[in-house]
Amino acid sequence: MRPALLPLVLVLVSAACDNTITSTEALLPLEAASLDSTAGSWRMIVLSGPAQFTVAAPAAETSAAYAAELAAIKSAQSKLTTAQRSSIAYWAGGGVLRWNQLVRDLVARFNLPPAPRADGTYPVPDPENPFADPQFPFANPPYSARAYSYVAVAQYEALKTAWYWKYQYNRRSPARIDSGIRALMPVGDLPAYPSEDAVISGVTVEMLKVLFPAAVEEITERAAEQRNAALWSGKAAASDVAAGLALGKAVAATLIARAGADGMKNAVGNAAQWQALADSAVARGEIPWISQESPPRPPMLPNFGQLQAWLMTPADVVTERPPAPPSTSSDQMKQEVAEVRRTVEQLTREQLAVAYKWNDGGGTYTPPGHWNDIAAEYIRDARMSEVRAARAFALLNMAMHDAAVGCWGVKYLYFNPRPIQLDPSIKTVIGLPNFPSYPSGHSTFSAAAATVLSYLFPQAAADFDVMKEEASISRLYGGIHYRSDIERGKEHGGRVGGYAVRFAQQDGAN
Amino acid sequence: MKASVFGVLLLIVPLATSVQAQTIDDGLLLPRRALGVGVLYGHDSWSQYWEGDLKRANGNIGTVTTQSVTWVAGYGVTDRLSVIALLPYVWTHASQGPLHGMDGLQDITLAAKYQLFTTPFTDRGTLRAMVVGAAGIPASNYTPDFQPLSIGLASRQFSGRFTLNFQAHRGWFLNGSAAYTWRAKVTLDRPAYYTDGQLFLSNEVAMPNVFDYTVTAGYQSGRLCIPISLSQQRTLGGGDIRRQDMPFVSNRMDWVKLGGLVMYSLPAPRELGIRLGTSWTASGRNVGQATTLTGGLFYLFHL
Repeated sequence: MRPALLPLVLVLVSAACDNTITSTEALLPLEAASLDSTAGSWRMIVLSGPAQFTVAAPAAETSAAYAAELAAIKSAQSKLTTAQRSSIAYWAGGGVLRWNQLVRDLVARFNLPPAPRADGTYPVPDPENPFADPQFPFANPPYSARAYSYVAVAQYEALKTAWYWKYQYNRRSPARIDSGIRALMPVGDLPAYPSEDAVISGVTVEMLKVLFPAAVEEITERAAEQRNAALWSGKAAASDVAAGLALGKAVAATLIARAGADGMKNAVGNAAQWQALADSAVARGEIPWISQESPPRPPMLPNFGQLQAWLMTPADVVTERPPAPPSTSSDQMKQEVAEVRRTVEQLTREQLAVAYKWNDGGGTYTPPGHWNDIAAEYIRDARMSEVRAARAFALLNMAMHDAAVGCWGVKYLYFNPRPIQLDPSIKTVIGLPNFPSYPSGHSTFSAAAATVLSYLFPQAAADFDVMKEEASISRLYGGIHYRSDIERGKEHGGRVGGYAVRFAQQDGAN
Repeated sequence: MKASVFGVLLLIVPLATSVQAQTIDDGLLLPRRALGVGVLYGHDSWSQYWEGDLKRANGNIGTVTTQSVTWVAGYGVTDRLSVIALLPYVWTHASQGPLHGMDGLQDITLAAKYQLFTTPFTDRGTLRAMVVGAAGIPASNYTPDFQPLSIGLASRQFSGRFTLNFQAHRGWFLNGSAAYTWRAKVTLDRPAYYTDGQLFLSNEVAMPNVFDYTVTAGYQSGRLCIPISLSQQRTLGGGDIRRQDMPFVSNRMDWVKLGGLVMYSLPAPRELGIRLGTSWTASGRNVGQATTLTGGLFYLFHL
């Protein structure tokens, strides 16, 4: 190679070997389309009302104490480091959206099943010992649906309360009061006391410490960074932040108490219960589900179907259930097994891509995380205020939690085998979930999510419908679900999503 | 012409398909206007793998076997410059568990090998230095997102290689070769993935670059050539497979392998060569402990 050619070759190599990654969810500084000044009167879900927690009146804008707070902000702004500036830019994207991204990260990190022991048994993740192997939690789809919903509901309740008190006191942002303080992130007309950033920080950190205790250090750092960003940016003073933090933590305590009694503690069950599920299927003349893992793994969260739902009573949960699946000995079942086999063996590259796009299996943010991923871009593009963004995520994630409760209840009611159990010659192109087949969790989650998102973003309803259909059929392409699992799952999920839509229609936010 | 047949035989070290490494690292060239064409069969299998640093088996995959048939061609443009092309078809299979194997055309590799110098070294032999530039691109739209059963990593890549070769008059030879490989990002069919300690909200995956080297010693006498080799790959970045997770395309895949080859050029026709090889993975990270067997037939045309 001639030396003169070398630079040309290097240019070609660097162009060919481009390694720059484009994020699909970049967040620009949030300038909310509306203040949503009436949000303090929007309907509560868990709290009795916005005055359940009292926020004491702040010191006057003219007080010496407040003047000292303003001076502290000026001092901080005069010596901001690059790291501080970048955390301001990060949190300017919106606290609700940022935390939603961070929770998806946590779910993906903790969505790994325990490895088997040498004797072929599996340890159970222990919330009292979260740093051990296996780590706690195993953030599988039901666990994560619940986790996303608790964070979203807690944020939403806390922000409605914050909005109520903001408009009681109408204290302005430091950057609005003192021309010597720069607004380093968008500072609008929203009253600053209590700080919405600190409310989100406080409520979220407390919820996540319970849901993902092994990540406590990182969660705490992030939450503190969010409060500091509000302070350094001239958006909130120290007393705005302190009041917001206290309010957020107080609201979290209410939600944490609910989570402690919602049934999650009993969701794993025990060996006698697992055997009873199989015995019950045999007694009905059906082939019971058997784990296809090696060594066989206990079924995932058999009692999750008994968890408390957000928007459905226990009677609603039972009423909305789909009918029984085709009998494992029926001709219809034989035809559906044959369809799975035929589909996988004749799979096109496009169908394989659909199976991978919606796989959302172990190590990922799960199907509920995927729908949060989808929703986040619509929420961002609509420039929703923090409280309205929290509402959207709360509605979406309550529907998906209730879908998980409903779906898991039906899965363990029928304990139906997966296609490869009925025809071992079937091979799957995605990982095989370790729980009964009927109905499809993906289809239930996706229909519930698409129903809620179509209500919130009606202009995109057709897109959500396409996504729901694609997510659902991806399970047939993957070789892990029969068509009736998918069809009944979609119908069920749509009905469950309807509860969130009916709640939203009369919550005072429209 | 013996050395020339070996030149084609040595074109590639055993295809380590578990990590899809393809190297062109020997110290030999084809004579001007000679065309070598061959077919190589590779069989690579492992039942244990390293999950990060942890060596383990997995009942949900059992033994993973990767077979390949690679078409190889080399041509002597001048006595100092050879060009080489490789194209493998790959099949994967897991002996246990539900997962479907995959198959398809993997990556086409085009390489140019240039002799920088050749010089007598002491009075015992000849020292030669070569550079090789090689580019690889996926030859089909296969997915790299089904490790360990994907047929490859689906990354465009370019490697620059330097090789020093000492050929003793009495038949012994020693070969040292090292390469740096730049790898382009790959695109997945999904919108997000978790690796190396964080969630990426993108369908694109940055691929860490790779350094590898091979030291080969051997003896050549008459129609027989028997080299043994030690090779090591170091991936310069990437995350480990997490506990009980699937492998991922951009994992830090490292290995040390020992290999041996027997190459024989037939008495008649003299242009036909046979190659049998094996390699064994001594240590690794985020790869299977593979044993490979390769067999190939090559024919040399003088144009």
